[in-house]
Amino acid sequence: MAFLEWRRFNFFQVVKDVDSGKVKECIKDKKVATSSNGNGNLVFGDSEGTIYLVTRGFNVTTINAFALRVCLVQMMQHSPLLVAIGEDEPGINPLIKVWNLEKLDKLGIPMCVRISRTIPNNRPTPASTLCVHENLNLMAVGFTDGSILLYRGDIARDRLSKPKVLRDGGMQPVTGLAFRSTAKQTFLFVATTSSVFSYNITTKDKEEKIELDKEGCEKNCSTSTESAHDGQFMIGREDAVYCYTTDGRGPCYAIKGTKVMLEWYRNYLVIVSKENKTLRASAATSPTTPDGPGGLFGTTSGSETHMVTVLDIQNKFIVLETSMQDVISVLSEWGSLYVLTGKSDPCLYHFQEKDLQAKLGLLFKKNLYDVAIRIAKSNQYDADGLTDIFREYGDHLYSNKGDHAGAIEQYIKTIGRLEPSYVIRKFLDSQHIENLTTYLQELHKQGHATEDHTTLLLNCYTKLDKTDKLKEFIMTKDREVDFDVEIAIKVCRQASTEDALLLAQKHKMHDWYLKIQIEDQGDCKQALEYIGKLDFSEAETNMKKYGCILLQNCPFEATELLKRLCTDYRPSNKPLVDNNMLQGHINPFVDRANPADFIHLFTECPEHLEEFLEYLLKEHSEWNPLLYNTLLEHYLNSWGTLASAGTVETSRRLHYEQNIMRLLQNPDSRYDKDQVLILCQANNFRPGVLHLLEESHLYQQILQYHMIQRDYKEVLSTCQRFGKLDPNLWVQALWYCARDSHTPPDLLEEILQVIEKNKSLPPLLVLDALCTSSEVTLANVRSYLLNVLTAESKLAQREQEQVKKNREESERIRTQIQNIQTKSMIFQVSRCSACNQPLELPSIHFLCQHSYHQHCFQSFSESENECPSCLPNNKKILGHIKAREKNKNLHETFHDLLDKAEDGFALVAEYYGRGVFNKLTVVMDDPAQLPQKPVLSDRNILSTGAGAEARMRIAEQPSSFRGTYNQPQTSVPTTSSTSRTAHISPSQIQADFASMSMGSQNNSPKFSSYTPKSYETRSEASGSSFGTKGQTPPPVVKATQPKINPVSVKVEQVSKNPFDEDEDDSTNPFSENLESSNPTNTVGQKESMKGVAFLNNPFEDEEENDNVSTSTNPFDEPDDYDKEKNPFGCS
Amino acid sequence: MSYAYLFKYIIIGDTGVGKSCLLLQFTDKRFQPVHDLTIGVEFGARMITIDGKQIKLQIWDTAGQEAFRSITRSYYRGAAGALLVYDITRRETFNHLTTWLEDARQHSNSNMVIMLIGNKSDLETRREVKKEEGEAFAHEHGLIFMETSAKTAANVEEAFINTAKEIYEKIQEGVFDINNEANGIKIGPQHSPTNPNLPQSGQGAGQGGGCC
Repeated sequence: MAFLEWRRFNFFQVVKDVDSGKVKECIKDKKVATSSNGNGNLVFGDSEGTIYLVTRGFNVTTINAFALRVCLVQMMQHSPLLVAIGEDEPGINPLIKVWNLEKLDKLGIPMCVRISRTIPNNRPTPASTLCVHENLNLMAVGFTDGSILLYRGDIARDRLSKPKVLRDGGMQPVTGLAFRSTAKQTFLFVATTSSVFSYNITTKDKEEKIELDKEGCEKNCSTSTESAHDGQFMIGREDAVYCYTTDGRGPCYAIKGTKVMLEWYRNYLVIVSKENKTLRASAATSPTTPDGPGGLFGTTSGSETHMVTVLDIQNKFIVLETSMQDVISVLSEWGSLYVLTGKSDPCLYHFQEKDLQAKLGLLFKKNLYDVAIRIAKSNQYDADGLTDIFREYGDHLYSNKGDHAGAIEQYIKTIGRLEPSYVIRKFLDSQHIENLTTYLQELHKQGHATEDHTTLLLNCYTKLDKTDKLKEFIMTKDREVDFDVEIAIKVCRQASTEDALLLAQKHKMHDWYLKIQIEDQGDCKQALEYIGKLDFSEAETNMKKYGCILLQNCPFEATELLKRLCTDYRPSNKPLVDNNMLQGHINPFVDRANPADFIHLFTECPEHLEEFLEYLLKEHSEWNPLLYNTLLEHYLNSWGTLASAGTVETSRRLHYEQNIMRLLQNPDSRYDKDQVLILCQANNFRPGVLHLLEESHLYQQILQYHMIQRDYKEVLSTCQRFGKLDPNLWVQALWYCARDSHTPPDLLEEILQVIEKNKSLPPLLVLDALCTSSEVTLANVRSYLLNVLTAESKLAQREQEQVKKNREESERIRTQIQNIQTKSMIFQVSRCSACNQPLELPSIHFLCQHSYHQHCFQSFSESENECPSCLPNNKKILGHIKAREKNKNLHETFHDLLDKAEDGFALVAEYYGRGVFNKLTVVMDDPAQLPQKPVLSDRNILSTGAGAEARMRIAEQPSSFRGTYNQPQTSVPTTSSTSRTAHISPSQIQADFASMSMGSQNNSPKFSSYTPKSYETRSEASGSSFGTKGQTPPPVVKATQPKINPVSVKVEQVSKNPFDEDEDDSTNPFSENLESSNPTNTVGQKESMKGVAFLNNPFEDEEENDNVSTSTNPFDEPDDYDKEKNPFGCS
Repeated sequence: MSYAYLFKYIIIGDTGVGKSCLLLQFTDKRFQPVHDLTIGVEFGARMITIDGKQIKLQIWDTAGQEAFRSITRSYYRGAAGALLVYDITRRETFNHLTTWLEDARQHSNSNMVIMLIGNKSDLETRREVKKEEGEAFAHEHGLIFMETSAKTAANVEEAFINTAKEIYEKIQEGVFDINNEANGIKIGPQHSPTNPNLPQSGQGAGQGGGCC
């Protein structure tokens, strides 16, 4: 059974004698009849007509207000007006007096501004209540006979309109009056001893009575609350305190006891009641008044013990209950509550309200957190403070009561101020998850959640198996509930993928959606559909990411999507024609993915690749070469597999073949030729290979291809077709044929015919080529050989005739020289060579058989030593010799030429022809292959005495020198050819051909770049020597050498480096000093000799177009001989 | 705030059946699990709309304790409607209904609309009084019946509003003498003069003073 009372707390501290007895001093021995407070004053009126004003500092001002007694006083709250009813004359003659406390007279006493009588209907009646409205325009006076007078108008003025009698007498006395003003209306509450009613006094003379209750109250037992409490009128009765509103009855608070006084103080109702035995007992046990004033005062005779109870109406507590002796008045002034007690021994108590902290502390001690919260709220406690209370309350519920749900409720109220981890930590046990969930939910709702909280909450949901809640949570619209979507998806994914999907879809986390759909759900169709709805760039990236899986699982749909992506993509959920288009704006930029990015996806399903690529190529033509390559590759592969599988599906094979060729032949196709060629070769796709090779002008490759395929007919036709474009084809064909043992003979013959006709290959090489074949029979090459040999022998014959002619010529010249030297010369010319007149003395004769008249000679000749008619010719020859001599020393030029020369051999041969090595050649000639060292040693000999002597001798014998000089002219070709044969063995040549590189390592020209032309020039240059060699083997040549060159031994001794000038100058047959030392005759003879020699020189032609031919040097091998001694090396 | 009618209600029933919670739920839309005992009579008000008319409900929430019976009895008289509340989880509160009903009938005006309310319907597991029993009792005594939950707010609004509708209908039927304030009905300041089917007493004439 609960106590039928409100809870009690002691929120007040009772302080005795706050005025230090000042008030007591004034009013002791006097009976305080009435009291009031307001405007900073406590006001007491005594029964002797005096009014006491007590200020804050408890200074008392005395006004002698009435002559006899003061009955009622009211101090205005907000103005310095004091209204009092009292009596100046004996009898019943109440007077209303009004003082203005701010208007002081000369004595410093407030001035009385008004005095008027108050008698209802001329019937003298004592006034029982007085009430003045705060607006200072309304005043009501109640009388003991029940009549009420209402005064309107300024209460501080004398001139008053006649008071309205609201109620005439003859009834129970009026015990309480109170004004109540709302915004529009004004009411007057009236309490009598037997009834409660109110008047609506808004309008003058239209006052309206409203019955409120049929029971009343005693005097002083009524009060009116402040407007904050709805302006209720309260009256205290025996059983309870009843409240009335203007509408009627309101609540009632059951407080037993005979009420003596009711007073309203701030939020509190102060009730003074007569002490009741039971109440006393309960008060004694209550913690509020163990040593209260009641205990101090005890019970004195003639006085009454009163209970003072302070109620907090709003929170429904008893905040103070204490017993006091003879409470005279309860006053609330200066924001505090004062109680005057004691008839004989007056004392002023101060009820000091404790501050909020103290109150809360009190409540916390009792664990009355809910009460504390209520109080804190009603006192506008700040949010931080409230949070603390909530937290403490939560802690209390959690640890002391084990009421986790309740605790969470409190903790929820701390959200936003209290660190959530504080709460979460407490509720992490599994049995508290539900509470934790509630908290976290609230946390999210209020937007204070972090990622971790989201994770935790979702985990809680899944642990509690609250899928519906989870769904609700994640599907909250418009992000009412703020959380990190990504985290949520992650968590959901572990629990229920469907939810994660929904979440991802809702928040447009495409990546996540697809990831889940594909990886967890494996629903590729859905995923594809989803991608199809995305924007282009997103669709593209996602397709790149997941294309592989998607293609594996839903190849058709995926391929379709890819097609769209690569042509003209548009999200599938968008209308085909949108507003922009309707308005005529056609978006010129159609997003188009690069198909190359997707090709690799198709590795697992080539048939879709084919479909995909074919579609793309059909749609557009300007694609990346990769596309074409890939398609071709795919075709080739399919073709290849079909081919290898057998001939069952020939039609399909054919189809592929056609496809490939169409693609290859399509000029728009941008495939990479090299790559496709490789592919074709790899797949052995003949038509393709051939097409590509032809396209690239690689005829040799075609040939090769055919050869490898052993398609001899094709070989022939290829040669015939492209032979004109690349004559070398034939040569190659020959080599192939030679190697291939299966070559049909007719093909070989055909090839040989062409080669012979074109002279594209020297016969020796042809022979070499044929030698490699073990199969080729003589019969096959007979006709060729015959032809070649005939041609060769004819040539040889021609050459030999030439040689013979030359030899005869030189023999003739030699004899002539001999004759000049040894025999006497008979000048029998009868006519002058100049004037053609008969010769007469004095005459001049020249060895050249020209004779002149002296005068003719003198007039003609430029120099005395020369025959004028021979002079131009001699000059020319001399110029040649001089130029040659110059050239001879220009080694660098030679090397330059050699480097540039296509046919080095020809160049060297030409240099020989010029006589550069005229002595050396002889040396080289004799011991067949004389290395360079002997030359050097010869030179050493030269520097020694014996050699030098011999040299000198030779220099003194120009004729013999001439001979040697002359001889080499013919012998050079021969020797060079021999030395050449010595150097280049047939095997070496063959090797050269085999490796398809001709010429020296220096230039190392490739076979492809090797042109038959260069070869021809070369072979022409040395054509005769080859011919000779072919017929007469090298030993024969050697054997004949002594015959050809009889002076070789002699010259050998004199051999020296012709390039070594400082040593050779003297011995040089072309040097000038030789000439100068010679007699005129000799000179002339020499000159004529030269002319002959040059006439006979078979190399003269070449010499004429000096420096024109450029060729590579076949001798320029980096052998191990010393560079210094190398005649071709730089010195 | 202006209103067409003001209805006065009283909530009665044994202690602890949830009368104060019903009121709190109706006026403040909140539930307070721990509630102090009502000492005397508490009071709440709320505006509702019926038939397009603003109606102010003034509700006296009485103490269920026997000790306060004398205080609460005085409130019956001015009420137009009463919510007679029992707790479906406590049979004795149901058993006491007869006493409450007698009390109410005795002290109130005969036209008072009484609604029988079985509260705490959220505690289905602890139910002791079947809904049918409540219905039967209501039927027997001519009451309106409803099960509510102050905690979940189920049917709370309906309980108050249905009662108001009933009263409103009775007014329209002319059963209530709306000028007798003892009936617990008050006509709003603006409405009294325009109501044709109701006789105007001398006192009532003054009621429209606010308009002038």
